[in-house]
Amino acid sequence: MTPGESPGPDRRTVMKAVGGSAIAAALAGCTRLLGDDGDDGGGSADVPDEPIQAGLQTFTEGAASVLGLQTQYGAELAIQRINDAGGVAGREIELDVRHEAEAHVENYQQFVDEGKDVTFGPTSSGGHEALTQEVEEQGVVNVGTDGTVTTLYEETNDDPLYSFRFQNYDVMECVTVARAVVEELGADNVDTVAGINPNYSFGQDEMRFFVKALKQMTDAEVVYEGYPDLLAEDMSTHITEVNNESPDVTFSSMWGGDVTTLLTQAQANDMFDETQIAGTVLYSAVDDLGRDVIEDAEAISGSRNWYWGHPDPGRWSPGRDLFEVARDQFDVVPTAHFHSGYGAVAAWATAVEKAVDLIGGWPSQDQIARALEGHGFYTPSGYHVIRADDHQGMSNSYYGRMTWDDDVGAAALTDVGSFGPREVAPPPGTSASDWIDSW
Amino acid sequence: MVALENVAIHTLNGVQYGFVLFLIASGLTIILGILDVLNLAHGELFALGAYVTSSLVGALVGAAFTPDSGLGFLLVVLAGSALAAAVLVPVGLFLEAVLLRPIYERDEVYQLVLTFALLLVIKDAIKYVWGPKPVRLEGVYSGINALATVSIAGRTFPTYKLLIIVVGAAVTVGLFYFFERTKTGRIVRATAIDREMATAIGVDVDRTFTLVFAMGAFFAGFAGAMALPPTQAHLEMGADPLVLSFVVIVIGGLGSLRGAFVGALLVGVLTRWATWLYPAMELAAPFAIMAVVLLVKPEGLFGSWGERA
Repeated sequence: MTPGESPGPDRRTVMKAVGGSAIAAALAGCTRLLGDDGDDGGGSADVPDEPIQAGLQTFTEGAASVLGLQTQYGAELAIQRINDAGGVAGREIELDVRHEAEAHVENYQQFVDEGKDVTFGPTSSGGHEALTQEVEEQGVVNVGTDGTVTTLYEETNDDPLYSFRFQNYDVMECVTVARAVVEELGADNVDTVAGINPNYSFGQDEMRFFVKALKQMTDAEVVYEGYPDLLAEDMSTHITEVNNESPDVTFSSMWGGDVTTLLTQAQANDMFDETQIAGTVLYSAVDDLGRDVIEDAEAISGSRNWYWGHPDPGRWSPGRDLFEVARDQFDVVPTAHFHSGYGAVAAWATAVEKAVDLIGGWPSQDQIARALEGHGFYTPSGYHVIRADDHQGMSNSYYGRMTWDDDVGAAALTDVGSFGPREVAPPPGTSASDWIDSW
Repeated sequence: MVALENVAIHTLNGVQYGFVLFLIASGLTIILGILDVLNLAHGELFALGAYVTSSLVGALVGAAFTPDSGLGFLLVVLAGSALAAAVLVPVGLFLEAVLLRPIYERDEVYQLVLTFALLLVIKDAIKYVWGPKPVRLEGVYSGINALATVSIAGRTFPTYKLLIIVVGAAVTVGLFYFFERTKTGRIVRATAIDREMATAIGVDVDRTFTLVFAMGAFFAGFAGAMALPPTQAHLEMGADPLVLSFVVIVIGGLGSLRGAFVGALLVGVLTRWATWLYPAMELAAPFAIMAVVLLVKPEGLFGSWGERA
């Protein structure tokens, strides 16, 4: 029985479950459970009439747009659902999207100068580290979509006020994939590990935490580490070395177009005969990877805090609904980066509506920031919390084995599993490194 | 201990990369050597070649030829790549005849500003035609690799890479033959050595310059076409080839075709060895090689364009 056919819960029950407002229900993907599109947000609160001005910086062109456009589409869909449900406390959102390029701070400053009420992004880890202190100085809330480097709230900005991040951070996806590898191959069968990772803070961060976590669960020894430049056209040197070492596992945090280049060239060099490849965001290249590569690689991939096929659509349809809207409206197979844009908007909008209810008027940036701390909300992937101490989003973390899906005409994940935040992230106040060491 | 088969495969990877670099750098160096123009838009001509190939070869492969077509498939891909590069010829003709020619007599800074502007214009044109996202040539790389597996000491080496080496070698021989043995090639060299004397003996310098620029555009486009199948075409792809081409022609000697050939193979092989033996050197290796060569021979390995190609 699908949710649409079910007599299901009544309107009051649904509203209460997802946070008490029409936009919370819409963002959770449960609008149809409400029975109508009534606007319950805001009530008689004293809020301005004019639309909310929001800014998003992400990669809208070039190789990284494989991720960035997904983020943009996700944010646009969330805003569309908010506006269709009557807006945040009655205010619709207008989104201004800017190419993040290498101008993260400048983009944010321009958003602030233009009087934006909120900013979202960026996608880049290095960009997020460059941006976060500027957010604290300017005092306009930024909800990061990705930029998942672990040091962001451990070192670069260890006492954030206005800077938040929705997506799970690096250590979570690295531990997820390390656990998945041990589950799939068995701890006794993982003696050697290699890595081919992008040559910047994200790639180095990911390799470090993957190896650290894996070594706590196995006796694995690192036999090769290669760091090709971003957008490298030729990764054959690293592939040759992996073939030379034949490690049990090769870890890669390549993303987007670099995944396709790596896997395509790895296939040409028969690398998949020599090693099991596993990565945190290999699935981000879903729209580019061909059938032959997918079937040869049988890669283990993480999927950050959302995979469209899990939980089973028969039992929980909002994820599948989001997938279908993404395909129809944006012509993409939505990935975790789609959900990054969607979730960042959802976090901010539901927190603001909560604040409006509490104070009876439109909240200041300080009040919005306080409302986001410890804020829990739903999206089609389930429940999320923004941790109060370090402003880091906490969600389930997904993984699976990449396989070809004829119905989708692209890669899908099979044998999908997930870990809860406490299984893959350190508690507040403990560094990721110390936490893994304590296992 | 270093295994010999490993040395062989890394060296072959380097030679293949060197031939791609030479295809790009040859165009840059003949334009610099003969027209005395440092073409900052050269990397975008490389990118344009890759994008045109994605459409042209993509259509050919999709319409009539599949990897199952065997040798025919390979020939179609090669012909399609050459055809895509040929699209760059009229582009080169237009750029030289309409935009560059009027400013030859002006200060060199005008050429730099103009070619930088062209870089931006070509990039925007690519974005307009093909969109902001990367494009790739589905099935061609794996299709050609499926033709035959080349094994070296038990290790697989992709057939497509060998194809690039063979095609690169053929183009190199053809280029040197053109400049050393044909009348047109000699006219081009004469114009490079002494523009006024060439004019005095009846050489049409304008036509020669246009021909040279179009040739440069063709080879940049052909390099883009050959580089596309194992990777993707994207809006930033012109930057690295431009920088590395400069490194190659500085190592070889500004304007020297022979220098570009040796410089390209040197950079190709040594960077692959450096990446293999000390991965942290991947980015720095080409520049380190350039620094060493310049310290020993400041004018580059082969000096400038002159009596010999």
